[in-house]
Amino acid sequence: MKKKGTWFVGTAIVLGSAAFLPGIVTVPYYLHLTILALIWVVVAQGQNLIQGYTGYVTIAQGGFMGIGAYSSALLSVKLGWPVWGTLALTPLLTGLLAILVGYPSLRVKGHYFAIVTLAFNMVIYIVLFNYRSLTGGEAGLTDIPRLGDLLSGMIGFSALSSFYYLALLAAVITTGMCWLLINSRVGRNLIAIRQNEALTDGIGIAIWRYKLFAFVASASMAGLGGGLYAHFIGFINPDTFTVGQSLNAILAVIVGGSGTLLGPVVGSFVVVFLPEYLRIADFFRLIVYGLILILATIFMPKGIVFVVGQLLKKMEGIRSDK
Amino acid sequence: MLSEFVQQIINGLTIGGIYSLLALGLTVVYGILGIAHFAHGSIAMLGGYFIFVLLKKVGLPFFGAIAVAMPAGAVLGIFIERWAYRPVQEDSPINAFIIALGLTMVIDGANLLMFGADQVVIPTKYNNVIHLGKVAIVELRLYVILTTVLLILGMTAFINRTSTGMAVRAVAQNRAAAILMGIDVNRIPAIIFAISSALGVAAGAFVGALFAIAPGVGENYVIKGFAVLILGGLGSIPGAVVGGLVIGVSETLAAGFISSSYKDVIAFLVMIFVMLLRPEGLLGKAER
Amino acid sequence: MRGGRNMSNPIGRLRTQVWWIALVVLFGLLTAATAGAADKELTIGVSDALTGGGATYGMPQMNAIKLAVDDINGKGGIKIGKDNYKIKIIAYDDQANPTEATNSVRKLIDRDRVKYLLGFCCSPSTSAVASFIGKENAVMLVGNAAERTITTRGLPNLFRTRPPADYSGGAAGAFVRGKGVKRVACIGALDIAFYSLYLESFEREFVKGGGKIIAKETFSLKDRDMTPQLTKVRALNPDALLVIGYIEPAAFVYRQSVELGMKVQRFGFTSGNEEQFLTVATSEQMEGVWDLRPTELTLEALKPSAKVYYDSYKKKFGMTPMPASPYAYDQVYVLKHALEKAGTLEDIKKVISEIATMPVPPEAIMKYMPINGKMFDENGQAYTTNSAFQWHNGKWRYVADLPSDPAAYSVYLRSLRK
Repeated sequence: MKKKGTWFVGTAIVLGSAAFLPGIVTVPYYLHLTILALIWVVVAQGQNLIQGYTGYVTIAQGGFMGIGAYSSALLSVKLGWPVWGTLALTPLLTGLLAILVGYPSLRVKGHYFAIVTLAFNMVIYIVLFNYRSLTGGEAGLTDIPRLGDLLSGMIGFSALSSFYYLALLAAVITTGMCWLLINSRVGRNLIAIRQNEALTDGIGIAIWRYKLFAFVASASMAGLGGGLYAHFIGFINPDTFTVGQSLNAILAVIVGGSGTLLGPVVGSFVVVFLPEYLRIADFFRLIVYGLILILATIFMPKGIVFVVGQLLKKMEGIRSDK
Repeated sequence: MLSEFVQQIINGLTIGGIYSLLALGLTVVYGILGIAHFAHGSIAMLGGYFIFVLLKKVGLPFFGAIAVAMPAGAVLGIFIERWAYRPVQEDSPINAFIIALGLTMVIDGANLLMFGADQVVIPTKYNNVIHLGKVAIVELRLYVILTTVLLILGMTAFINRTSTGMAVRAVAQNRAAAILMGIDVNRIPAIIFAISSALGVAAGAFVGALFAIAPGVGENYVIKGFAVLILGGLGSIPGAVVGGLVIGVSETLAAGFISSSYKDVIAFLVMIFVMLLRPEGLLGKAER
Repeated sequence: MRGGRNMSNPIGRLRTQVWWIALVVLFGLLTAATAGAADKELTIGVSDALTGGGATYGMPQMNAIKLAVDDINGKGGIKIGKDNYKIKIIAYDDQANPTEATNSVRKLIDRDRVKYLLGFCCSPSTSAVASFIGKENAVMLVGNAAERTITTRGLPNLFRTRPPADYSGGAAGAFVRGKGVKRVACIGALDIAFYSLYLESFEREFVKGGGKIIAKETFSLKDRDMTPQLTKVRALNPDALLVIGYIEPAAFVYRQSVELGMKVQRFGFTSGNEEQFLTVATSEQMEGVWDLRPTELTLEALKPSAKVYYDSYKKKFGMTPMPASPYAYDQVYVLKHALEKAGTLEDIKKVISEIATMPVPPEAIMKYMPINGKMFDENGQAYTTNSAFQWHNGKWRYVADLPSDPAAYSVYLRSLRK
């Protein structure tokens, strides 16, 4: 019980300081990066839901981000719908498509599943690229209404700070919803599926429905992330939603901590900020990235959060010995 | 009309042969070791770059360079197995896949560092065009098809006729029994990766001679390779061969007779339909 | 002690957070400080594709900018009033990627306090930046990026030295028509707007002679096997092949057309120097191919300064310059003259009005066609001449200029503004 208390206090303090971040950070560029990281938190929590908790590695989050981004952008630009509406619709629209994708994909497991989702990501990319009349093809969509500008009029903060709060809200709500989900019966069943699918099936749980739910939910989160991205940057084109982006989502979850709530948060910041610090040696960036992935998988397969957790436990253990 | 069709088939067989070669390297690793070796494409690219250097700096002829590079590739494969994949062999299979992704990045980064970002085309002297009626085929393509056939036959002979090959098959069928029979089971993964990487290097050589080696190319090929695997059956050698040719020819016919923009979609749609209707692939065994 | 243990988690985390923020702020302040510390130095920003698929266009631009900056610095720098400012370059690699480009430019403007942005070889990255640069206190000089919509937005602070692709297409269509060709089969990167717009304007002019475009096949940047498309086209018996798109796949189209036994006239819109084609095809396979494009770096058609540029570039970087690289070289001189005329580094509005009204700088390498004496039209667009080149014995030969009408095109471009 005390532990729960400290978690709440801790979270409150983190959120409190996060609320003051725009005031502290003087260089707008770093706020810009933080916003990207928060958008990634939304996507990574989705990846974590299907990968970390349910045990199915999907390589399609990038593609689903694209679906969310393009739907919101097209509806607001071409049909003139209000941006709040189109953004709110993104999880729904992406979720619908995810049902279509999930149906064949979930018929198989493990590697098959991963590769099929990868194929779907590529199909999404190819359609976005070639269906020029709708998506603008490689030239992309420009002049997407920036939420930051809309908000700054309303709340009076600068465009960047306004969007920061929106992204923070989205990240917090997504993480909160995942927290509720994991601690519910649904969540427990998902974990059971990851641990032993045959057994879970055997005791009569409708695993098919749960798997589909997890897949659709994770895709919806990616869609929301994509929508936020579109209305943040103001320009999208297919290159942002490739398999490479899906691999970033996997990286974020693995490095941060697969199967934990905090893991995707940490992982998202790593994925966004690490390339900045690796920019010193552009050529080495790929090699370092890859080595980090390999070493993390061999030595830290449960991610940063787990390692830090173990460290803290050890520290507590030492203290209690005193 | 007929000659156009035949021409397209020949075009498709060339690219299909390369897909088959790549898929072969993937299928032995997946079928026997259960690893989705995504980095295979990057190894093929490394092979291509290496052969380019052998041609330009050392002055070896094309096939001579391949003969030198393939054993080098085998050594690389053994190294990768020992240091990248073996540490996670007891963990969940997802970890091996993540390792594969990391390896892809490392090898791609190394390629970028050593060979730069510009595309590399391996020059050969096989430029003569042979005409059979209205159908034209350039010498190089003919040699690529022939060499691919030889390599496939060679590999099949190895698996079926030699004692090492038999050991490999034994481990594939029943690892525990193989240990009991006294087979050195730790040697087998090294051998598999050696074969896979050698074949990958050859595939890279052909891609480099017919088309071009450049950053990003390896990923496209390995994804197609997995499409072939899924079509032909994960772990099936004849499946990899047949699947590769089918996908190569379908892509070409689709580009030639329907539309060239959506050429790449063919492979992925094939994957998806096979998943829907027959997940074990055309020639695979029914196991989930 | 029990209280200590329970508080260690949230306090520890808070502490790490504060350290992180402090580090970030410190870093930011340091960078800002060092940026301000160097007086008599003008920092310009370059955002270009230095790695990845776009590097073929981006690296030569980067090199060209370096060359121009070294030239200017060697002669004393930029003269504003009594002071001489040496130019310093901060460059970021945008990998021709929209997100990277946005990050790069944000960094340049926010963190590095740069007001003048050069480079921009590739359309996806450039379009992303163009979508927000209008609101920034900065000037954006675009180079090789050829997407038409970049200059139809009516942005006062965006100028482009390279003309949009369809400006050259019409002239090319008239040229091919003049050769008596009737049946043209096109293979191109037609999914990319500026290549398909080239084809559109080409077709408009070409069909006036009673000819027809009998096929429109596509390839993408990464494709290397165009034998399916060529086989299909071969069966239609064209008089000529029109190849529109990126150099790398285009070179394969030329090579594979020969390998499939095709013997038709070949026209193209690809740019690219001899080296780039010879890595893929032999000189015999390229013999007779035409390239119909902006004049770019053609030594026979330009002033002697072009030869000087060619030699200096080759000496400094060890390779021949890309024909499109001077678009970036010229950007630097445009900036130099505008700043010197405006007499200020800080007053962006003044600098913009100087660029908008300036004549073509004498040091410019490309052959521009000014409109009413001004280098840039009301869209911020500059226009070069278009020419026909033909490959003969291993080299591109300048044959003639194509008929071009920049004034009419400028009006057309203006009409596209939403």
